[in-house]
Amino acid sequence: MMIAITRWMLNVLVSLSLVLPLSGCWNSRELNDLSIVSGIGIDKADDKDEYRVTFQVVNPTSTATSTGASTGQPPITIYTSTDRTIFGALRKTSRKSSRQLFFAHTQLVVIGEALARSGINDIFDIFERSHELRLNSAILVSRNSNAASILKVLIPVESLPAIGLVKKSRNTSRLWGENREVNIFETIKGITGESELVLSGIQLTGDPEEGKKKTNLEQTEVKTLTMMKGLAVFKDGKLVDWMEGPAARGTQWVLNQLKTTTINIDSGEQKESVAVDVTFSKTKVAIELRQGLPVFHIRISEEGSLSETKAPVDFSKRDVILDLEKEMAKETQEEVKQAIQTAQRFGSDIFGFADQLKRTKPNVWKGVENDWDTLFAKGQADIQVEAYIRSTGMRIKSYLIKPE
Amino acid sequence: MPVYRMPDPDQQKKEKEPLHSSLADNLRDIRKRTGNSNDFVIRKFALLHSPIQVAAVYVAGLTEKDSVNDFVTHALSFEAKESGKLEVTTSLEIFDYMKEVALSTGEESVISDWDKLFEMLFSGGTVILIDGLKEAVSSNTSGGEVRSVTEPSTQVAIRGSKESFTESIGTNISLVRRKIKNPNLWVESMKLGTVTQTDVSIMYINGIAKEEHVENLKKKLKAMHLDSILESGYIEQLMEDNTYSPFPTVYNTERPDSVAGNVLEGRIAIFVDGTPFVLIVPTTFFMFFHAVEDYYQRFDISSWIRLLRLMCLMISLFGPALFIAALNFHQEMIPTPLLINLASQREGVPFPVFVEVLLLEITFEIIREAGIRMPSPIGQTVSIIGGLVLGQAAVQAGIVSPAMVIVVSLTGISSFATPAFNMALSIRILRFGIMFIAAFMGLYGICIASFILVSHMCSLRSLGVPFMSPLAPFILQSLKDSILRAPLKFMKQRPGLVSQKNVALNAKGGNRDDDSDN
Repeated sequence: MMIAITRWMLNVLVSLSLVLPLSGCWNSRELNDLSIVSGIGIDKADDKDEYRVTFQVVNPTSTATSTGASTGQPPITIYTSTDRTIFGALRKTSRKSSRQLFFAHTQLVVIGEALARSGINDIFDIFERSHELRLNSAILVSRNSNAASILKVLIPVESLPAIGLVKKSRNTSRLWGENREVNIFETIKGITGESELVLSGIQLTGDPEEGKKKTNLEQTEVKTLTMMKGLAVFKDGKLVDWMEGPAARGTQWVLNQLKTTTINIDSGEQKESVAVDVTFSKTKVAIELRQGLPVFHIRISEEGSLSETKAPVDFSKRDVILDLEKEMAKETQEEVKQAIQTAQRFGSDIFGFADQLKRTKPNVWKGVENDWDTLFAKGQADIQVEAYIRSTGMRIKSYLIKPE
Repeated sequence: MPVYRMPDPDQQKKEKEPLHSSLADNLRDIRKRTGNSNDFVIRKFALLHSPIQVAAVYVAGLTEKDSVNDFVTHALSFEAKESGKLEVTTSLEIFDYMKEVALSTGEESVISDWDKLFEMLFSGGTVILIDGLKEAVSSNTSGGEVRSVTEPSTQVAIRGSKESFTESIGTNISLVRRKIKNPNLWVESMKLGTVTQTDVSIMYINGIAKEEHVENLKKKLKAMHLDSILESGYIEQLMEDNTYSPFPTVYNTERPDSVAGNVLEGRIAIFVDGTPFVLIVPTTFFMFFHAVEDYYQRFDISSWIRLLRLMCLMISLFGPALFIAALNFHQEMIPTPLLINLASQREGVPFPVFVEVLLLEITFEIIREAGIRMPSPIGQTVSIIGGLVLGQAAVQAGIVSPAMVIVVSLTGISSFATPAFNMALSIRILRFGIMFIAAFMGLYGICIASFILVSHMCSLRSLGVPFMSPLAPFILQSLKDSILRAPLKFMKQRPGLVSQKNVALNAKGGNRDDDSDN
């Protein structure tokens, strides 16, 4: 009896352990057999109704570590394929690449301007469907060029251009506030929502051919450079126009996405002579219909500290600070107004007002749903800003003020 | 050395062979039975006033010369009676006199059969045989070379007593007795091993240890039919309920304070003559991750160190497996810069990750094993050659990646952080199994392996006490001294599963909590 049971258990054990290797490491992949894709660029093919997809692939031998002989190759390699679908292009690349492309670390998706103008609503399905592609990759729109040329440019300081571009957009949106980091998830949300989409633009300056070479980096001033420039305003999934400067920053303000920024305000006679570092900003939006037209109530409260002055103003006086606070509020109001006017001109509700209205007043929304675009363009903005200056930096009085 | 089980336990019950009455016969028999071994010393005495022959027998290395001489002169001192008159003439009279005078010291005994005679001889006794009598007188004259009490070599503590057990069971028991001066510290002795006749003693505190545990243990020990016991490991292995479990379920220590502490908690210590390693049962999993020093240091430090040890357990068990799983199956889990870094390190490495890990792990095991067995001056050379030269050269040659060396060395070092060496050994073996599964099935495999492992551990018992207590079964009270260590102020109860319920731990005993059921 005992022996029978032991034999039975032994059989089970042996069969179970034989099952183990049957899985055959079904998903096991060595790192040496993978090409890590850091960035994807999507363009319209020139004359066909196809996508031209560009892959920026990491070249592990040339990314800085001490081991192994450096091959002198650039840190990235570019593969391009065209196909009716993105996935098709992705698989076609196997004809060019020695290793399977691995998408789980895609940091950046760049959309070419031409494609953006013809509509981007239908390209994001694969990002949701694929188990490898991530929804939190950043997304940028290339300005005045195709996406491929952006991805081909090597950038100084950063070893991987895609990561460098993501950092660039993060850096400027945190410190300057005209751009915003948007990822694919938010983009899809923007497409499916009632409002319109707005994405950050990236522009190439200098000779694109030079930018591909390592020699471009072997100089103190890099000739070919990429920089964040403007916001791409979409309407019905198509790029309408670019928004720049104060209007772009005003957009971030309305969207409550502004983290820190710097504004130059007037001090008495001197125009834009005091720099204020805005360190905190909060925006509340309420929408109501007044006589059939929407009114956007925008309440902004912001805090900042004085960073620089060119004018001999005495910051130790409360009155002076109060005046500056008023100036600061005025400046902010001005930028927000510009943003809203620009958007109204495009007829594109990029501020999420429609979603806001739908969420807060669904009944009202039902009435205006069909002609929201025209109503939005006619809408009035009621902007009120409360600004506070909390600190004057390491000094109170500037040396510019002559002692009595 | 194989342990042979005696096929016939009845052999022990055989008739006792009585001694011969003739001294010459007896001496001849001793010579014959010991195969003329020349460490058996036979000294014959011719008495002044009597024709009766007397002989003293002892084993040279086991006795102390002075004690032997003392005993012999003392036992035969009847000649120096002040009257000068001859009082003793017959064998019986000599024997009676010896019994009366010599046995008064208490360490002497009368023996009448061969088994007893040899038992006395081997435990360092001297036996005086008298011609014409079937009985002999013996005395404990044990001595000879024993190792002195030294500092512990395997369980070093920074704070705490610096003494460790020796090979002598008597010394070992006395070392504990010096710490617990209480008549309730009971020691029960027995001889195990039909050939070696090894002294085995169990020690517990009457009233604290659960009686059922003591009975159970005694039953188990008596049921062991062993040829020989050369180390407590023999008993440990035969006592384990689950022979094929990779986990040890008996704790061993060479520190008297550790034994004292455990006995005070209600556990039972098993002393075996000839080894400094004392067994302690019942054992729980967390005991292997405790050091006596935990109780001597402050509670916060001890708690932190205990957490650290458990962390080291996790690293040494799962470290390489997680590395394999992440690199082969879950590349998306690794942060991008790290992945690219690892990818660039692996560039040019000709092996898959699993082979690479295996290569280094086995190399590491070889270095470790070689280092242990080598004489200590060469042992250092081995570790230098192994650690520095081999590791460095392998990386430079591009056979393994530097990250792999880091993972494997961290794993190796972590396994040394387990205070109990036998548990560290088990983890070492299990690590390879988990690595293997991880290479097949990634994190999924690691999850399966840990599930199997945990359920197996929960099924283990040591002398009837669940191995994983106080986690499974969950006992809140005992948690104070398992993963963390609560301040001594709050540790008012002994672990309920091993000790009798009604005993409070601290001296005052005031905060006894009768309804708590731990």
